[in-house]
Amino acid sequence: MSLELLAIIMFAVFLVIILSGYPVAFSFAGTAIVFFAIGVATGGVGIEITRALFTKWFGDSINNTTFLAIPFFVFMGAVFEKSGLAERLLSTIGMLMGPLRGGMAVAVVFVGTLLAAATGVVAATVIVMGLLALPVMVRYNYDHKLAAGVIVGSGTLAQLIPPSLVLIVLAQFIPVSVGELFAGALIPGVMLSLIFAVYALVLAFFKPEKAPAIPKSERTLTPRQLARETMKVVVPPLFLIFAVLGSIFFGLAAPSEAGAVGAVGAVGLALAYRHYSWKMIKDAARSTANITSLVLQILFASTFFALVFDQLGGQRLITDWLTSIPGDKWGFIIAANIIVFLLGINLEFLEISFIVMPLFVPAALALDIDLVWFSVMMAINLNMAFISPPVGFSLFYLQSVAPPEVKTSDIHKGALPFMALQGFGLILVMLFPPTVTYLVEFFGLR
Amino acid sequence: MWLVIPTVAIGAITVLLRYIGRQMGTALTTPGYTEIQLYLYGGIFLFGFAYILKHQINVRVDFWFAHQPQRRKAWIDFVGHLISLVPFCLLAIWVSVPQVVTSWRLNEQSTDAGGLPRAPIKTLIVVGFILLLIQAVAELVRLIAVLKGRPDLVDLEEVEEPLRIE
Repeated sequence: MSLELLAIIMFAVFLVIILSGYPVAFSFAGTAIVFFAIGVATGGVGIEITRALFTKWFGDSINNTTFLAIPFFVFMGAVFEKSGLAERLLSTIGMLMGPLRGGMAVAVVFVGTLLAAATGVVAATVIVMGLLALPVMVRYNYDHKLAAGVIVGSGTLAQLIPPSLVLIVLAQFIPVSVGELFAGALIPGVMLSLIFAVYALVLAFFKPEKAPAIPKSERTLTPRQLARETMKVVVPPLFLIFAVLGSIFFGLAAPSEAGAVGAVGAVGLALAYRHYSWKMIKDAARSTANITSLVLQILFASTFFALVFDQLGGQRLITDWLTSIPGDKWGFIIAANIIVFLLGINLEFLEISFIVMPLFVPAALALDIDLVWFSVMMAINLNMAFISPPVGFSLFYLQSVAPPEVKTSDIHKGALPFMALQGFGLILVMLFPPTVTYLVEFFGLR
Repeated sequence: MWLVIPTVAIGAITVLLRYIGRQMGTALTTPGYTEIQLYLYGGIFLFGFAYILKHQINVRVDFWFAHQPQRRKAWIDFVGHLISLVPFCLLAIWVSVPQVVTSWRLNEQSTDAGGLPRAPIKTLIVVGFILLLIQAVAELVRLIAVLKGRPDLVDLEEVEEPLRIE
């Protein structure tokens, strides 16, 4: 039996195991160990690859300042999520935008984007917004579909808008820095959120009954109080996010350092708003430890998988196959987008990053594709997959917290236009690579 | 007895994180500082391996799995742990121990000036996998109880929701 055949069987077995629901990390490890044994037995794989394994574990996983950014950014996001900052943000901006038709929807897009940037975690953003904003919009007679759509749409941007966990993990698989990816994703992320806001406003203009303004009697704050509250609640988190991103973009700090400062800053904000509690810190610490362990466990296992797979010639096989897709560069890009979209409907980004990106990247390099641009497209694509009914993850998150009068079908139908808008954004980015590369070059990160 | 492990892990994790918190403001000075962070972060997830297994928060592709009866889930995990997790831990320990021993013997130092010795953190890799192995065996025992129809013997106090992280 040829080694390539073995590699193909290995990948197939892996897919079967992973689909059975067995934990992803151990599926990688188990498949690898079985095929490692077969490989050694048939003489195709040298036992010495295990030595490289330890070196890679230590060098790529532990002694790696890129991944050090993960716990910091997760911690920062968890503090934002658990400290109740989101609640105040939303009520303030809601008041600010309320008098406008469709204003609540715009407020949700804005706060969603901000939270997406701050937490970098879709589930957190969508759930928080679903708990806080959805009941409010329902109370003000918003169209349920629009209300749900705007929440899943903007909440899911957490994957794209830097600093995002997805981008940090993606950076591990491609020879570009986290800073470059962050810079590349900024314009597309903000662009998408603007597109959402414009959509909400246009819809409110033509169909006022779908997105009414907040009635005057409900607006209790004087303009001056409102201005002060805005300064107090909106400006500091914005400042924090820009400080974190700015220090990365201008090369003042490594992503991990900026993340560390961001995490301390988030705790500082929580303190300043008196939303501090020991339990909150403990919860945040625990979810940080959990997420870090999860990511690294999969990395440890997939490192082994990749070693064995590569030894069997699987990587070369896939690269050959991907580069031979007709249509050259564009054929590959479109195929890659379709594959990631389809996978994204059922898998989380982690699985996709670990399974697919290592396979795609050599092909993308061979075809001379800008990897930052490519990765940002993949991230937008995952966004789209995330809100695709009926199985997109964001929809589940929202369902789990939606008030009973918002039906599941409302959420599904509401997500569709936002999916289309994301598709539109994806095409824009695809046709105009400078949307991604401009900032990367502007900050001289290349 | 094995309940102690995750408890220790939580303790360690919380302490480590608090410690990192203190480090964060001043972490920009020497390679040594950065390396302390790296080692702590390594500690978090190496201890975390066993912890997340104990608390069932590993990432699964669960659109099929979630709808299966308890027993079938237990079977999948049981067979999986037996043929992949346990051998993987053994392999990892077998691979790592010689290199850790070498590292101690040579008193290996960081490649950066002002860095820290390498051996302790490398040792942690072994410790992490030993903990994971012990936890895996504990899981096997638990799953046998479930498969024998006595899940009451092993009630999981603190099963968290599967974590969604993006």
